[in-house]
Amino acid sequence: MTFSGEFFAFMSLALVAVIGGVLLLNLTKVVHMVVALVFTFVSIAGIYVLLSAEFLAAVQILIYSGAITIIMLFGIMLTRHNDTSEPKIGRWRKLLLFAGVLGFAFAVYIGIYNLDLPSAPNDLHVNNTEQIGIELYSKFIIPFEVTSVLLLVALIGSIVLAKKDDEKEAEKE
Amino acid sequence: MVEELLYSEAGLLNFGIFFLLATVLLLVVLGFVTYAILAERKVMGFMQLRQGPNQVGGRWGLLQTVADVLKLLLKEDTIPKLADRPLFILAPVIAFAPAFMVLATIPFTDKLQFADIGVGLLYYIAISGLTTVGIVTGAWASNNKYALLGGMRAAAQMISYEIPLVMSVLGIILLTGSLNLNEIVEAQKNGWFIIWQPIAFIVFLIASTAELNRVPFDLPEAESELVAGFHVEYSGFRWAFFMLAEYVYFFAMASLTTVLFLGGWLPLPFLEFIPGAVWFALKFTAVIFILVWFRVTFPRLRADQLMEFGWKVLLPVALANIFLTALLKEWLNIF
Repeated sequence: MTFSGEFFAFMSLALVAVIGGVLLLNLTKVVHMVVALVFTFVSIAGIYVLLSAEFLAAVQILIYSGAITIIMLFGIMLTRHNDTSEPKIGRWRKLLLFAGVLGFAFAVYIGIYNLDLPSAPNDLHVNNTEQIGIELYSKFIIPFEVTSVLLLVALIGSIVLAKKDDEKEAEKE
Repeated sequence: MVEELLYSEAGLLNFGIFFLLATVLLLVVLGFVTYAILAERKVMGFMQLRQGPNQVGGRWGLLQTVADVLKLLLKEDTIPKLADRPLFILAPVIAFAPAFMVLATIPFTDKLQFADIGVGLLYYIAISGLTTVGIVTGAWASNNKYALLGGMRAAAQMISYEIPLVMSVLGIILLTGSLNLNEIVEAQKNGWFIIWQPIAFIVFLIASTAELNRVPFDLPEAESELVAGFHVEYSGFRWAFFMLAEYVYFFAMASLTTVLFLGGWLPLPFLEFIPGAVWFALKFTAVIFILVWFRVTFPRLRADQLMEFGWKVLLPVALANIFLTALLKEWLNIF
């Protein structure tokens, strides 16, 4: 195997992604976890770029690292921002978990080792933004529209909930 | 030249070349920041009928910012005892790194560009959203109520104004049919988009001022209410990093405005003999001047007015602009 730039980039991105995930599980403070999560999201976006799916990468950063994390941070700060989670796991459970992880790793290894992917058409990445747009607005137009209805319902629901709170507050005063 | 480099073999030499180019860009940006701060103070001074800096470095105060930066570097680096130490240290880095990353995709002339990404515009918008994470993290890590308030304001403001910003450029994307910044500039050969998309330009200018956290939208660091907002507890070079991020975004946003609405490096008719870089610099300076002018002229908005303006005025106007543009495009296709 040659030590190409792509390999180097993939290794460093994968390392950051995995470390971010592990930190997310192991850190105790909620805000630290969210910051670890941002690193994972960004490095996954980097891996998308390596697969020449740059549209997906930009959207991943825009939605996950930008919007969702900020909303999570917002929620945490407005509620119990000093919350910490204490690990309460017995030794037996730890051992069982470790055995489970080993089994899973073994199963995945076996699965990947004998996997033979048929070579897919290799021009999917050309103009992928345009291709995604055309597919979305011709083949998948109904799911797309239904999603927008779902979002609208969520929006109206949150407005209704917020309005109710207001009235209660007013009655209290 | 960059085109060839991007498709060449990976190796130590190429890594060195890229590293060198990035360092040169960083130095250019630092030079810009130094003199942008001075220019801003001078212009503000003249608009308010005073002199501005005129002591250090001759009559024009040319070394004032250099002296300020030196002072910042020599300052004691304080970290509050009750602050969240790792996040406090990490936050300025998270805030600054995306600011420099977005510069890679901006085409300064038809030859001078670091990365010709197919989704350049989307890349800019996505990456610039990461800075908010840094600001909120820094605000939370400071363990200070003013910092936290400033951070919350910054997050709310940046999320609310990102939407009109994106919506206003959708008209341009409709007309160009591409997210690539080079193609957007090429599409302006028949007239800059400020002529074809005047409403979008106004919405974009307002939303970009809000994204930059500049007056009249500088609520996250409103001195009179929050002491200094999200960076109250920061001092020395950590504070300098936040300021640097802000001014690098100033640079990037002015460049983006030039590329999107003022035709990038394209010359005015009959003046083609002037090189593209000069045109870009001229338009860029004009945008910077307008942003400084805004800062001197407008009073700060109230927090609720800010949100109301973003959601109830800017967003509907931007949506109407998309609708109009789509109609216009179809109408032009019929004839």
